Amino acid sequence: MNRLKLPPWLVLLLPAIIILSAVVLIPLVLSLYSSFTSYRLTRPDSIFNWVGFFNYEKALTDVKFWAAFGRTVLLLTVALNLEMLFGLGLALMVSKVTQGQRLLRTMMMFPMMFSPILVGFQFKFIFNDNVGLVNNALQSLGITDQAIPWLVDGQLAMFSIIFAEIWTATSVFGILILAGLYAIPRDPLEAAKVDGCTAWQSFRYVTLPFLMPFIYIAMAIRSLDVARAYDIVQIMTNGGPARRTELLWTLIGRTGYVDARMGYANAMGYISIFLAIFFTIYFFKKLTQSRKELGMGA
Amino acid sequence: MKTLLSGASRAVLATASLTAAISAFGTAQAGEFDGVTIEAKLIGGQQYEALYARIPEWEAATGAKVNIISKKNHFELDKEFKSDIAAGTTDWCVGSNHSSFASQYPTLYTDLTGLVDKGVVAEFVQANIKAATFDGKLVMLPRAQFDVSALYYQKDLYDDAEKAKAFEAKFGYPLAVPETWEQVKDQATFFADPPNFYGTQYAGKDEAIVGRYYEMVVAEGGKLFNDDFSPAFDSEEGKRALQWFVDLYNAKAVPAGTTNYLWDDLGNGFASGTIALNLDWPGWAGFFNDPSSSKVAGNVGVAPAPKGSAGVRTGWSGFHGFSVTEDCANKEAAASLVEFLTNEDSQKLESAAGPLPTRTAVWDYISEQAKDDPYRREVLAAFKETAATAFAVPPTPLWIEATNLIYPELQAAILGDKSVDDALADASEAVDDLMQEEGVY
Repeated sequence: MNRLKLPPWLVLLLPAIIILSAVVLIPLVLSLYSSFTSYRLTRPDSIFNWVGFFNYEKALTDVKFWAAFGRTVLLLTVALNLEMLFGLGLALMVSKVTQGQRLLRTMMMFPMMFSPILVGFQFKFIFNDNVGLVNNALQSLGITDQAIPWLVDGQLAMFSIIFAEIWTATSVFGILILAGLYAIPRDPLEAAKVDGCTAWQSFRYVTLPFLMPFIYIAMAIRSLDVARAYDIVQIMTNGGPARRTELLWTLIGRTGYVDARMGYANAMGYISIFLAIFFTIYFFKKLTQSRKELGMGA
Repeated sequence: MKTLLSGASRAVLATASLTAAISAFGTAQAGEFDGVTIEAKLIGGQQYEALYARIPEWEAATGAKVNIISKKNHFELDKEFKSDIAAGTTDWCVGSNHSSFASQYPTLYTDLTGLVDKGVVAEFVQANIKAATFDGKLVMLPRAQFDVSALYYQKDLYDDAEKAKAFEAKFGYPLAVPETWEQVKDQATFFADPPNFYGTQYAGKDEAIVGRYYEMVVAEGGKLFNDDFSPAFDSEEGKRALQWFVDLYNAKAVPAGTTNYLWDDLGNGFASGTIALNLDWPGWAGFFNDPSSSKVAGNVGVAPAPKGSAGVRTGWSGFHGFSVTEDCANKEAAASLVEFLTNEDSQKLESAAGPLPTRTAVWDYISEQAKDDPYRREVLAAFKETAATAFAVPPTPLWIEATNLIYPELQAAILGDKSVDDALADASEAVDDLMQEEGVY
């Protein structure tokens, strides 16, 4: 009797294939399939109710979905750019410190150590209009005698969420850019000094190009993070009031788990994934380009 | 003789204890469920724990074991139940249920009618039993966690002669604890002194604001849904009800963040002494009058929920209960546990801490117990009066989903993003689409 003999490469890869199939491939295929059905969590048999592109058509023609999409892109753009600027500033300052730099680096990472849920609760309290820290401080200092509705006002609510995002993630940029600063060779900087470059010129034409690959890596990581922003927003405003802070994943989360319309939620999820894919490709292209300019990559 | 007597007394004692056991544990016999393990998913939280401490008594009496496999709040349990239904993992036996959520799980829970004696069911407040029955199926037995809202207020506001004079001069009628929602609006506007003091407040998001709006529509003489569950709130009554919320917000009589508030924010707000009038649940009564948790302790009055322009009181009500799953391997044992957790002793224990019972006899018992405590007496009188005309949420499995479509539109009107007419028209259209898509009509 001949025993089935698999080629050694397949045998070696088999555990990885099985695990990846179980935790990634099967859920992915199942969720893709369910996005073409009217699947509701509370009615398991509805997973066999094929509705074609109905869910996709519904999402693509839904103003609320596109408004949430737009808000997510806005959050992504504003938060990422500000985090980059603040992270760059933070890294440049820390790199100049000669004593206690290690302590500063550790302190810089503190916000990253908090769970986003806790960050959400923390800022929900800080920005509370009645008992919140910010309003109490502003009123005690005599700056205002109003209760500013931070989490309610159309602009302020989004600002509060962006503030919380920036507080928690600026250090991602800070740490990565700091690593970039340590990796910069001294020769070009000294050559620039000898050639009479100002501090700004040295930074703009020598330091920054060297830092760009690090910045793009941080951007790619954070763009994926922000594109799936959920926890902080869910706790602070739950997408409200009046959908003023509704993002893609608060909308999708509510549709899938509270309304139990998992088929529709999955369809919206698949459309949203394109957003994440677009930003990832964009930042990786930029990364390759900046590495090329530095002569680091093909 | 001595032996005989002692034998006889033992027999009498045994009979007496058996009778006591039967009355305390319903129809369960001693050791009847030996070796049975009941898995339960229960609502968690300090206020619910006292009841769970009784479970060992039931275990000792029946020989069964209870294994609590999940303890969460109802919103989290709701998500877990939905995931269980989707995954087919519904062979646990007893689950905490709530009248506002119950209609969403038509396949999850079994009909308790055949499992619980008719006489036992008759001992509950029948309005609660009606609200626990869907499509003829009794899906839960209510525990002593009946919720309807009455009006808490700061008493000293009504003792100030100058305020009373100023109020009467402005509104043309004497200042007294409000009996109508129109009076609440007048008084809330009058008392408000933002950002330090507000006339009133309301839950501003999720199902909470829709519940408040729903009871206001009813108090105005309208309906949220027609009998076929098509939306009925885009009506004159519905507009009047929403205008009440809008007017208070525009007058700055409610905190600016009220559209972000849920129950805890409201309770803590009133306890902080910055709110004059507060429509709230019975569970807060003790908290509000406790000097260690509340700045208004000793100054709290409680009145029945005010009436709308139709002369009807607001009375959106709900209650917690326990259900038995359809897939439970031993439904009799599970039903026995549910019966035990909702029996007279259990309800007396729970309602001693403040929550309202759902058994007629326990209502009488707590009224008797409160006769020497004027505050408790006032609380019970206000809630009893409100409970008499209370009503549950519309019995549709799409209730929560409909509220998710309605509440952003209510918020949009309150915050001025849309007019009342546009907001209600949009909400009505969205709910209509949902009902049609789900084949309700």
